[in-house]
Amino acid sequence: MQTSTVAAQAPSSERLAPRRRQLSRRSRTWITNLVVLASCVALWHVAAVAYDSPFIPRPHDVWLALERLTFQGDVNGHTMWAHTQASLVRVLAGFAAAVVMGVPLGLLMGLYPALYQGTRSLSEPLRFIPPLAWIPIALVTLTGFSRYVFIIWLGAFFPIFIATLVGVPRVEILHKNVAMVHGASKGWIVRKVVIPSILPDIFGGMRVGLGVGWMCIVAAEMIGGDSLGLGKLILKYAEMLRMSEIVAGMIVIGLLGLIMNEILLVFERRLFRWRWEVKL
Amino acid sequence: MSEVANAKIKVNISQRFDALTVFQNLKYSVAENEFLCILGRSGCGKTTLANLMTGLTKPTEGAILINDVPVDPKRHELAFVFQEPSLWPWRNVRDNIRIGMEIKKVAPDVVERRLAEMTELVGLKGFESFYPYQISGGMKQRVAIARAFSVDADLILMDEPFAALDAQTRQKMQAEVLRIWEQRKHTVLFITHSLEEAIYLAERIIVLSDKPTTIKGDFVVDLPRPRDFAHPGFLALRKKLSELIGAD
Repeated sequence: MQTSTVAAQAPSSERLAPRRRQLSRRSRTWITNLVVLASCVALWHVAAVAYDSPFIPRPHDVWLALERLTFQGDVNGHTMWAHTQASLVRVLAGFAAAVVMGVPLGLLMGLYPALYQGTRSLSEPLRFIPPLAWIPIALVTLTGFSRYVFIIWLGAFFPIFIATLVGVPRVEILHKNVAMVHGASKGWIVRKVVIPSILPDIFGGMRVGLGVGWMCIVAAEMIGGDSLGLGKLILKYAEMLRMSEIVAGMIVIGLLGLIMNEILLVFERRLFRWRWEVKL
Repeated sequence: MSEVANAKIKVNISQRFDALTVFQNLKYSVAENEFLCILGRSGCGKTTLANLMTGLTKPTEGAILINDVPVDPKRHELAFVFQEPSLWPWRNVRDNIRIGMEIKKVAPDVVERRLAEMTELVGLKGFESFYPYQISGGMKQRVAIARAFSVDADLILMDEPFAALDAQTRQKMQAEVLRIWEQRKHTVLFITHSLEEAIYLAERIIVLSDKPTTIKGDFVVDLPRPRDFAHPGFLALRKKLSELIGAD
């Protein structure tokens, strides 16, 4: 009798437990992150005070610089918002170009491996040339907006292309067979089986590509003539040895990258709930 | 021996992989709306046979004819229930059932009607918007069965569809598949290694030998339905099949 009561109670408490644990895990993650962040800022402050050099700004100096840049603008009168907007447009344009080229090309080469194998000697070495190395060539061949887009595209293209390429052969044969037994054409299978199967891979590649694209922004804005852009802002203040503004620019770049990544993650979780749940 | 009058499907094939002969003049036919079980030990080429029956791979010699035309998924209406869960994880139950109809471009109003009918018939009403990760293994096979029976199939192939399920679910699914078949008659070729499963389901059983595979026996099962595993006729047939197949 007693054992049966225990058995009857066990499942209900087990059912409740994971939910509560999940909630507390989430808030614990938030708290941990805030504590880590606050300690780092405190440590930075202590180190800056101890070092006591005009080239090592304190957190408070950076905050003031950020305030100045936001409300009064830089030496040319451009505000932080104008810089952010300029960089954002460039990164998104380069990123979009990388998606538009990387996904179809990856898909095509994934479907026809001979095409990839036949061009490996070209595509593989290209992948390892850093975007920075392309700057002189970009300088002499391109002008204006296309220079930025080209450098960012270089960084973002390969992660997206490769993620798509390696996704294709991993599509479940059984999923394809279901369609083939019903007499589906190759085009139908690509549209309805291959693409939905590799969409999570493509999204993963896009997140990596976006990150690399952001990282190329300073390099891209080194060569662009425009005085706007977060990269340009940093370079401008580097010439004046004004560290507070430089660090403020760095923080804004990091924050924007974080926000864009989180946005993509939300999309990913929504779109591929079937995959996220399977993993858990 | 394995011929039937007015056959819908005629099989006469040989299949070799390099030096390995899988089938040597394997010859049988299937009548319209017949529930035929192919019984054989593992390794006798049952899955190879199922794949050949789809027309996606061609036999080394001979042909498989449906209505006197070589089998072709583009010309014939075929359906396949695989052993492994074959649902597309990115589609919900409803959209998984409609795959076959989608490929064959069935008119939208017919699709809607069939979907309602099939979800009801396989007992998935209310689960239409669930995703495969949210349902059990037995329910996944119900979806696969609904998908197979929702097209007007010339032939429904089932390759050990319940082998991955637990014993209780398997028995329940066997009864279910019979109930569905009785309501929507189709020609079914059901492949299994289980004597009980074959006797419980089939109107006719073809027994395969080990490689090179030939037909060892062809039995018409006329036991009353629903079949009782303890029925003397059931046990007698089980004994006969067991001796024939050399079950160990």
